[in-house]
Amino acid sequence: MAEQKIFGYGNKISVKQGDEITFHVNCDGASTAEAQLVQLIHGDAHEAGPGHVEREIDNPVNGAWEVKKQFTQLGNFYSVEDPSSCLAMEKAFSMTCFIWPTMPKKGTRQTIMGRWDTRNNTGYALGISPQGYLEFWVGDGEEVDYITAEMPLLNKVWYAVGVAYDPSTNTATLHQTGVLNRYNSLVGPVVPYELDSHIQTKLRFHPDNKPGVPFLIGGARDSHVLRGDFINDLFAGKLDRPAVLSGAMSHAEFTECAKGTRPAQADLVAYWDTTEGLSENGVGQTLIDTGPNGLDAEGHNHPVRCMTGWNWTGKADCFRLAPEQYGGIEFHPDTVTDCKWEVTNRMTVPEDLPSGVYAIRLRVGPGEGISEEYIVFFVRPRTPRAKLAFLVPTASYLAYGNESLSFDAHIIQPMTGQPPVVTDLDIETYEHREFGLSTYDTYEDGAGVCYSSYLRPVINMRPKYRMSSMNITWQFPADLSIVAWIDKMGYDCDFITDEDVHREGIDCLRPYKCVITGTHPEYVSERMLDAQEDWVQEGGRLIYMGGNGYYWCVGFSEDHPECMEVRKLDSGMRAWAARPGEHYLQTTGEKSGLWKNRGRAPQKLLGVGFIAEGFETAMPFRKMPDSYHRTVSWITEGIEGELIGDCGLAYGGAAGVELDKYDLTLGTPPHTKIIASSGGHSDNYVLVTEELLYAYAGLVGSLDYRIRADVTYYTSWNHGAVFSTGSIGYGQALPANDFDNSASKMLKNVVDAFIKEGALPGSQWTLEEKQWR
Amino acid sequence: MSEANENKEYTWINPLGVWGAKGGNYEVTSNQVSDPSDVWRKNTGYKVPTAKVGRLKHYHIWDNHNEKLWKRLRWWPTRRHLLHVKGIYNRKTLNAEKKILDRRPIYWIICMVILFIGPLLFPSSMQSSLLTAGATFGIFAAINVCWTLIIGTASIFSLATYAVVGVAAFLTSWLSINFGLPWFSLPLIGAAIGFGMGGLIALPALRLDGFYYALLTLGLNELCRVYFTTSQEFGSASGGLYGADSYLSESWSPAVQSHASYYIALMILIGALVLFRFVNGKRLGRILRMAPEKREAFAEACGVDYKRARIQIFILTSAALGLIGGLYTAHFRGVAFSIFSFDTVLLGLAMLTIGGIGKAEGAILGTLVVVFLDRVMIEWGPMRHFLIGALMLASVLWLNNGYFGIKQQFNAWRDKKRGEWRSTRTEKGGEALPEEATEIDDKDDLYFRRYDKMQRDYLKTLITPEIIAEHMAKPLGQHSEALERVLLYFRRAKMEDKYALHRVGPDGPFKIIAFSGVRGVSPRVVEDKEYPTEEAGYHGVFMRRVHDLLES
Repeated sequence: MAEQKIFGYGNKISVKQGDEITFHVNCDGASTAEAQLVQLIHGDAHEAGPGHVEREIDNPVNGAWEVKKQFTQLGNFYSVEDPSSCLAMEKAFSMTCFIWPTMPKKGTRQTIMGRWDTRNNTGYALGISPQGYLEFWVGDGEEVDYITAEMPLLNKVWYAVGVAYDPSTNTATLHQTGVLNRYNSLVGPVVPYELDSHIQTKLRFHPDNKPGVPFLIGGARDSHVLRGDFINDLFAGKLDRPAVLSGAMSHAEFTECAKGTRPAQADLVAYWDTTEGLSENGVGQTLIDTGPNGLDAEGHNHPVRCMTGWNWTGKADCFRLAPEQYGGIEFHPDTVTDCKWEVTNRMTVPEDLPSGVYAIRLRVGPGEGISEEYIVFFVRPRTPRAKLAFLVPTASYLAYGNESLSFDAHIIQPMTGQPPVVTDLDIETYEHREFGLSTYDTYEDGAGVCYSSYLRPVINMRPKYRMSSMNITWQFPADLSIVAWIDKMGYDCDFITDEDVHREGIDCLRPYKCVITGTHPEYVSERMLDAQEDWVQEGGRLIYMGGNGYYWCVGFSEDHPECMEVRKLDSGMRAWAARPGEHYLQTTGEKSGLWKNRGRAPQKLLGVGFIAEGFETAMPFRKMPDSYHRTVSWITEGIEGELIGDCGLAYGGAAGVELDKYDLTLGTPPHTKIIASSGGHSDNYVLVTEELLYAYAGLVGSLDYRIRADVTYYTSWNHGAVFSTGSIGYGQALPANDFDNSASKMLKNVVDAFIKEGALPGSQWTLEEKQWR
Repeated sequence: MSEANENKEYTWINPLGVWGAKGGNYEVTSNQVSDPSDVWRKNTGYKVPTAKVGRLKHYHIWDNHNEKLWKRLRWWPTRRHLLHVKGIYNRKTLNAEKKILDRRPIYWIICMVILFIGPLLFPSSMQSSLLTAGATFGIFAAINVCWTLIIGTASIFSLATYAVVGVAAFLTSWLSINFGLPWFSLPLIGAAIGFGMGGLIALPALRLDGFYYALLTLGLNELCRVYFTTSQEFGSASGGLYGADSYLSESWSPAVQSHASYYIALMILIGALVLFRFVNGKRLGRILRMAPEKREAFAEACGVDYKRARIQIFILTSAALGLIGGLYTAHFRGVAFSIFSFDTVLLGLAMLTIGGIGKAEGAILGTLVVVFLDRVMIEWGPMRHFLIGALMLASVLWLNNGYFGIKQQFNAWRDKKRGEWRSTRTEKGGEALPEEATEIDDKDDLYFRRYDKMQRDYLKTLITPEIIAEHMAKPLGQHSEALERVLLYFRRAKMEDKYALHRVGPDGPFKIIAFSGVRGVSPRVVEDKEYPTEEAGYHGVFMRRVHDLLES
């Protein structure tokens, strides 16, 4: 019997009571799966905690689901809607484009653009041969004829390429000329490369332009017996201003095009001006044809736009400053932002289903490991009732979705200080790579992944999952420790997500007195930050339960809320670095990177910000002197002794994994008090790079006093307040000893106080002390 | 371990112990880090003599066309260009250079030109015998080229080639003599006869192969010989049939006749080569290259109908052989029984073997050598047959693929020798030798090898029972300096073959795996041993790494 595997995703991550959600499931080795709606309470099997806890919920959706194999179209390409077949070129025509290939010697054919059908060998296309040479090919349904350039294409060098084809003489002329300048390519003009190549030959037959073959930019149509039509021969690299011209252009005309001159409108069939539409607020997925036929092209799986183009001169570092130099669109053959699987089943969320964390649990065969799937979603109330809300950091879940650091990143073992512990699920996902990558991975071509979406199975956004490189829960399963704590303490709590806050702003937060975050809310958009800041000013009370939070600036486009964009750059603990000039978000036009570098260090809202990370051990907090002040002494009330959080599910302490510190120079509100701090972290804990001006020896746990986590508290307008734990490990410390521990006690003190209306405890102890001792 | 490097035992106190750290030992017996100067001294030079490397550019290399338009011509009606040329960047200079990937068209043209102007170069004393030999060469070469298609391309070991030619020649001679058929009809009739015979001989090839089929076809050849030599009709008395119509008019002077015969034979050869190109270089040939000997089953499983392709080639080639038989008659005005004789078959086989089976140029060179020895060096007497035998033997004994395989064979031999010599000089994981460096494009790797070697040699001196015990007690957390150094090195290793643990069940046990370092390729299981806990697994990984370090 074939190995049984099941994977799925929902079309929404956050649903209101009464809303419908659809489920999309792919299954190998079985035709039915046992489905069960469950409420997720705790997701870490660690022996120090309650183990995995879920509650089965009665619902009509439960029972056997018919499931089947579904296929995923990987890769970026643009499809052109061409109902009147303007691009079925029967007369002489030409194509031009600027290209910056990133894997010219990929070993498989790559299509730059064309109307080509691989199954039948019909049509025409301009592309790159498996050996890495520019090639134009035509097919008559039987055979393929082609013309190949003389010199191979070089990695990450800008070229102007073009082909002119005249069916009357059957002559094809292929042009390739280097447009490398001091800035735009991997190497500079000092390297003695001759990049040009101009070839002419007579082809043996005319292309047969069968109806129904799509014109594609960056791919070509192929077909498979089980799968049907799909797009193959995908291009890796950047393209700039592809165009189709009527008539066979001369060498001189090509030379003009290679200088960036736009051909006369009368000569154009299509001119996809990749700079058209670049605005203050970014650009969408549609590639606009400014030629006479309006053949706009639609992008698939988020081709990366706002990239430096062939004519980038290095002065403008943003597409908003010189849009004409930002025509680059980057294509990756192994990306996916929407699996587009067929709907397997759908569910209307019952009106009486309490707000919470839910999942459809699907099982086939043995029903564990890869034969068990949880499609997780968060149910929010139609009308908010509770005083307390848990803000689920879904943006950060996306950022880490399907990361494979253990397999690909050789830096991960020195970082985590331990060998990874991988499961069959990790291996399966790594092998198949059909579910896309995380923003911690790089594409096959080496570029960092800047888009991540939830319209695909996200295998690490499920209970029971441990991040293999660290062997602890991370993000969603780690946040379930807070969910379990809320459940155990019996608080009435609503669940809202990053997506809701991003869309609705402060209105989403206003009903609540206290909002509690996840363990690692690292990725936030400007709207999410604005909403939380405004809400705290209005009297909201935020409990930041994480480490390394509110760190990266991310963007969502209006039409694709499921897909997050981030560019990692300049400084910060980052898995990749965006190339020069490509630091601004396509989705919003903002500069990405660290919020710190945009004048909004997390300290300004949270009181603390990222200072260090380490992974093999964790430490307890120890009360700081200010914790004895009556303004805050209620926070640690009932905690005996000096230590807080000396046990936990993440390396046995509440202060660990990623640590945040108080810093007045980065905008910690000046009246902030440090309630407790950790210390004595091992040398695996290292200072974060954004704190580093000069690197010097000894920036490690046992030698640098800054490497610690701070628990801080400050008050804001209208009885607003922010309490921060400053450590990822804090959330995972809550379930220890059946939730009876000092970390749990301290958090309970804070939540109890925060959900009460009116003045905060200790708020009257504000006079200057007149001390006798 | 040298004395200078002897580790002094000491007790390491964890500076973080006072903080109540859970990870890492509070106090352990460890060893002081040792003196690295020994390692440095040992590693500052090559242990083997080194020499300068480099190869002088001693022939002209064409530049590329760069900005000029290059009009590329093709061999009509194929899509092949006149020469298979590829532009490359010279790795030393990055100059754009042209590389001719296949020089054979140049050699073919040179050879053809020589053959065409050959009669002008022949010494006048030998003019007539050389022209006759040339004509014989042309026809036999054409036959052998076709035979190569059968034995080489179609992998059908048929020895009945000369039987097909002979039967066609005899029948057309007979028809021409008895019914006065004109010379130009003879090749066509011959082709029809060849086609029929091909079909007949192909049938057993569906069932028999290799040696048995060879015997069968040899028998068939012998049968034809016996039949024709004893048959009155076919001139058993005169040793053959003569008097057929010919394109060589008897009114021409002997010189003109021999020249015409020479050039016509050459045209026949060119015709055979065209056939070879269109069968071997097109779909049929490609199909059969996917199904070489002993891999037929695999090809068949992939959907390659190799049997059909083989039979098609066989019949097609047999028709061509029949055509040559007809031409043979028209050329020599008849045919002798010697066409069926065993020594003809053997000489033919010698021609193929000497040149290398499967290549048209091989068949032609073999024919040239054998015909030259057999027909021109007549004064050498029977010795020349010994010479042919010796050449054949030499080819079989020492050459993998005839004389045209020599270059390839030489290169393979040089690669083997290079491997052998290098293995005596290079140090595994050590400094790259100057000759190795020429093959590594990323020069950073050269430095990494140097650095890594020094690191490993030094870290080996730190591995002691104390640090192993220390790791076993607490695999994670702060460790003594010696152990920490070793661990930092282990963790920084490249992804290829880097160890990790595989969680077999939800709660363990754990097995050691190694990452592939290749994107998308799963890790491999390193050993069957199962570790009950993560900690035991971490220590298992550590011990493997220690083992690898000491082994290197």
